[in-house]
Amino acid sequence: MGEPYAHPEVLVSADWAVAHLKDPNVRVVESDEDILLYDLAHIPGAVRIDWQGDLQDQLVRDYIDAEKFASLCSRAGIANDTTVVFYGDKSNWWACYAFWAFKLFGHGDCRVLNGGRKLWLEEGRPTTTDIPRYAPTRYTVKGSEEERIRTFRDAVAAHAKAGRPLIDVRSPKEFTGELLHMEAYPQEGALRGGHIPGAKNVPWSRAVNDDGTFKSVAELRAIYEEEVGLRPGDPVVAYCRIGERSSLTWFVLTYLLGYSNVKNYDGSWTEWGNLVRAPIAKGA
Amino acid sequence: MPTSLDAIVADLSGCDRQERIELLLDFAKNLPPLPDRLVAHKDASHRVEECQSPVYLFVELDGERVFLHADAPIEAPTVRGFVSLLLEGLNGATVDEVLQVPSNLVERCGLGETLGMLRVRGLTGVLRRLKAEVTRTAIDRARSGTDQPTTTPI
Repeated sequence: MGEPYAHPEVLVSADWAVAHLKDPNVRVVESDEDILLYDLAHIPGAVRIDWQGDLQDQLVRDYIDAEKFASLCSRAGIANDTTVVFYGDKSNWWACYAFWAFKLFGHGDCRVLNGGRKLWLEEGRPTTTDIPRYAPTRYTVKGSEEERIRTFRDAVAAHAKAGRPLIDVRSPKEFTGELLHMEAYPQEGALRGGHIPGAKNVPWSRAVNDDGTFKSVAELRAIYEEEVGLRPGDPVVAYCRIGERSSLTWFVLTYLLGYSNVKNYDGSWTEWGNLVRAPIAKGA
Repeated sequence: MPTSLDAIVADLSGCDRQERIELLLDFAKNLPPLPDRLVAHKDASHRVEECQSPVYLFVELDGERVFLHADAPIEAPTVRGFVSLLLEGLNGATVDEVLQVPSNLVERCGLGETLGMLRVRGLTGVLRRLKAEVTRTAIDRARSGTDQPTTTPI
């Protein structure tokens, strides 16, 4: 056994999840890139929370407000003290995004199912197509961690100007400016290609193994510390294209390596690459 | 729009969010398997680049009629369902009918609010690609000056 994760309790194993399938204090939440996967099969008792349809405001580019979040949790049978376990496709990329969004609203006990949807199915764990119904809860949003975990363009500009660490988690071709979007993904509207000056490129997927589980502390330190030079106390900003992939990197740095000051810039490249006069660097 | 596609649009747009998801999932489950003769041709020239998942599309012409075959993984049920819907709605349609399918088909099916804007954009890319392939196949046939059934370069 290598060095344990900084906050090992936020990562749960499939065995743990199986043992808590009927635990009324645990709610399993599926968040996927492909919204239909939940209907194809999901963990018994799991509810779907969609990053686009449920967590994002449908008019303004932002997340839903506290009132809507409370009603979303109430519908999903999530109370303030419920342990919420997120899992999903793409190595939990969207699960981490939903986790981050729950933290924006200050939800206390959030966890991620290591290996996500893919490993669960590969191991032949139980699934169902039944959609569960839960008695509504009285959820109240008690606080917000937004200031601690989210950052906006002006702060990012100051951060970059001061030479503080910025991690661009997009693919190498997006980083260099060769591509405006992920290879094979639809173009999502950035007028300029490249990266925020001073950013270092560490694609999000480097933090996960092929089976969807997270890499070990030693492997993660080799990437983020030896290779890129981050230190646990550093103020770090992570960004990608719309803030989804970088929420996985935010999760890894904050909970697995124990960094105390990591923020996700969810405006990301679709904002920065369109900002008039925003500085841009091109190339590797 | 061809009658069969019209009927699908009416079905989808007429139901609620969960029913619509289930209908799309039924389409995904019912995508006919790729004919054996095409399986060996799942290569880059038939890959739908707009899709992150490996989706393959084959266009064949018989006279004025368009025949489509496709393959998409069940692990990507949304795109597989949409491809299956296009096949069911457009097989046997004329080239003109395919080219005149409205580019906001995904929205017309009521899938906009169900799937969200970003996913709609991906699916719209599939339709665009399908039309481009039909155009290319029709042009290739016109150039070769034959009325024989044509398939995109194999």
